[in-house]
Amino acid sequence: MASPASYALRRHQQQRRRPLQDDNWVRSDGRGFHQCRPAFLRTGAARAASGSAYAEFGSTKVIVSVFGPRESKKAMKYSGIGRLNCNVNFATFSTATRGQESDHKDFSSMLHKALEGAVLLESFPKTTVDVFALVLESGGSDLPAVISCASLALADAGIMMYDLVASASVSCIGNSLIIDPAAEEEDCQDGSLTVAFMPSRREITQLTLTGEWSTGRIHEATELCLDACSKLGEIMRTCLKQAVSSST
Amino acid sequence: MAAVKEDAGGRGGGFEGEMEVEAYRRLFPLPYYERHLLESVRPDARPLSSARDTSIAVGAVSSADGSALVKTGETTMLAAIKLEVMSPSQDSPDEGSLAIDFHMPPICSPTVRPGRPAELAPVLSKQLSDVISRSKMIHLKELSLVSGKAAWMAYLDIYCLNADGSLFDVALLSAVAALAHLHIPLVSLNDEGRIIAVSGDPSRKTTREVVNKDKRKLSLNSVPFSLTCLLHKDYILADPTAEEESIMDTPVTVVLDSLDCLVSLYKPGGAALALTSSLKECVSLTRRRVQELRSILDEALQSTEMDED
Amino acid sequence: MEEVRADGRNGQQLRPLVCTRNLLHRAHGSAQWCQGDTIVLAAVYGPKAGTKKGENPEKASIEVIWKPKTGQIGKTEKQYEMILRRTLQSICILTIHPNTTTSVILQVVSDSGALLPCAINASCAALVDAGIPLKHLAVSVSCGLTQNGSLILDPSKVEEQELQAFVCMAFPNSPVTVLPEASSSKEGEPMEHGIITSTSYGSMSVNDYLCCIEYGRAASAKISEFLRRSLETEHNP
Repeated sequence: MASPASYALRRHQQQRRRPLQDDNWVRSDGRGFHQCRPAFLRTGAARAASGSAYAEFGSTKVIVSVFGPRESKKAMKYSGIGRLNCNVNFATFSTATRGQESDHKDFSSMLHKALEGAVLLESFPKTTVDVFALVLESGGSDLPAVISCASLALADAGIMMYDLVASASVSCIGNSLIIDPAAEEEDCQDGSLTVAFMPSRREITQLTLTGEWSTGRIHEATELCLDACSKLGEIMRTCLKQAVSSST
Repeated sequence: MAAVKEDAGGRGGGFEGEMEVEAYRRLFPLPYYERHLLESVRPDARPLSSARDTSIAVGAVSSADGSALVKTGETTMLAAIKLEVMSPSQDSPDEGSLAIDFHMPPICSPTVRPGRPAELAPVLSKQLSDVISRSKMIHLKELSLVSGKAAWMAYLDIYCLNADGSLFDVALLSAVAALAHLHIPLVSLNDEGRIIAVSGDPSRKTTREVVNKDKRKLSLNSVPFSLTCLLHKDYILADPTAEEESIMDTPVTVVLDSLDCLVSLYKPGGAALALTSSLKECVSLTRRRVQELRSILDEALQSTEMDED
Repeated sequence: MEEVRADGRNGQQLRPLVCTRNLLHRAHGSAQWCQGDTIVLAAVYGPKAGTKKGENPEKASIEVIWKPKTGQIGKTEKQYEMILRRTLQSICILTIHPNTTTSVILQVVSDSGALLPCAINASCAALVDAGIPLKHLAVSVSCGLTQNGSLILDPSKVEEQELQAFVCMAFPNSPVTVLPEASSSKEGEPMEHGIITSTSYGSMSVNDYLCCIEYGRAASAKISEFLRRSLETEHNP
């Protein structure tokens, strides 16, 4: 039985007051331009997996499960180092209109590249570690949320890593830089920068830049991101410590 | 040989004793369970006829029009409803439509891989849509907006976040909770004949007529609840975990609604044959469970209503 | 209240049954089962070697493929496959040929009501034709509850659409032709009275459901007698 064609409700569009025209532009949730959303992190969300984590950044909710190290598929050739397999899925109700998740098909490979640099693949040769992420609600800055939550899940599973990977993104709207954009801010951005960073080793595993930027602004945006990542790294460590101390 | 293993498993002294028990559980799961069943108890200390603790949280997803997160033991399901507008079919111009889909993403269980969808997903999806449509819980006429021109299409998606047995029960409960929580947004018809959303803010002047001012929530009559039991020799185990389901393969799922009508009895094969007495026992266990679930659901809905007021 | 149905049957009469075996020469076993106008063709290939997913080194495994008459394979077909697979798993003696796979392929030739029971009966006859060891046969019948509260057996497609509720049951076949008087105590209830599979659609009261089971049991005795006769004639030319 084919479902009849349906269209989503067109929400009453609020006038997007661009900062170019309006000098008194305030972010919709009242944050400052350089203020991140509060993070809520919890490990051990899914008991079926070796390790799992749940993260909430404002209205962006992500759950990640890690399975492994387990036997690689028989079709794969022998490999002296381990393999990391990442997959990101969006729930059908996560976006404002149903079926919009096809814009984010490349998240799986981007997650893989961000985590690859941090995981010690030599510690589990011939086997695969599977990282599966499900975005339950997409409220802006989805990829940084997925990366941070995934590295927390990997730590919960006991996979050896050089360091936790924290991630943040900055949007450039007109003349101002805002960090951790929400969904409506991402829609009217001119450019964006996403950084995945290992705070203790001070190394960047992945940096993605889109749109038009001038050199000076890139430095400024990168500094903002690294600062936010370090703070997020601290929060992730506290969460892991709490999980361990509450279980013993 | 069995006797030697039993002795080894029976002693539980210290660290060495615990290792023996765990190994025995993995190597000989059926005798391990049968020794527990003789004492009328299960390894997690539950009596045979009681279900695991259930908790319901409605309104978990704010971008959806109705949602619920249900947890029974370790099995966790998230159901969410998104409403879209469609033009109703010719033979039923006054009715909307409900499309139910059940997903098992790879996070829920180590056996599900991203390329290969789980075998259970389409079967459970069909079972759920059969039960919900046949139980007359919702009237599709309530989903109608403008007769003949526009009606609601409700997409109900249920995601399994952790699979640990009794998947159908928890999925049905989460679907019912999401439908009970559904808030239909205010809409009106614009000049081109399309439905647009209207904000509920009274200070905003709306030049358009609001089409459904009084139909904001669905009225549910006979709400179905279910219980899965496993039959094994003479024992009946209520609300099995995934481990129990893999060892004893005869599930019986009974769905009763609040008027005590049998909506569905599903027994898909299995080594144990069901005698009429066992079926009657399953039905009475389900009756008890329906009472429990109904009070848990009412409590959860009331607490959200109090928060909203 | 016995009412006359559209094709002249009364509430407890089944449609004429026809069972032909050994139609397909390439398959190890095949059978075609007709109940009135509903015709299902089943073919059995096995036991075969070769690893498939989910194969168990201690037991044989059964795989079911359902081909509808028209259209693509959707959720309904997957559900029928699963019910059939679990039913057949419970009647086969799985420990005789461990680490093998037996495939049962069903083709719906025409559908005029009571499709699932017809398929279960067809696949059972095909398994016998292929010589797969079975504990007992599965005999399946469907029963419906009409809008005015009476129970009818083996509803046709037209009747199915107007039913309030519909039950499909599979019983083990009875070892003797005449069922002994059923005793109500649990110890006295012989194993043949148990149900292998039961699926129900639509809401009915619990008593109606138990009545359906009683009617189904009585009908299954007739069907198993028919099955025994048709199997005997094939082997005694």
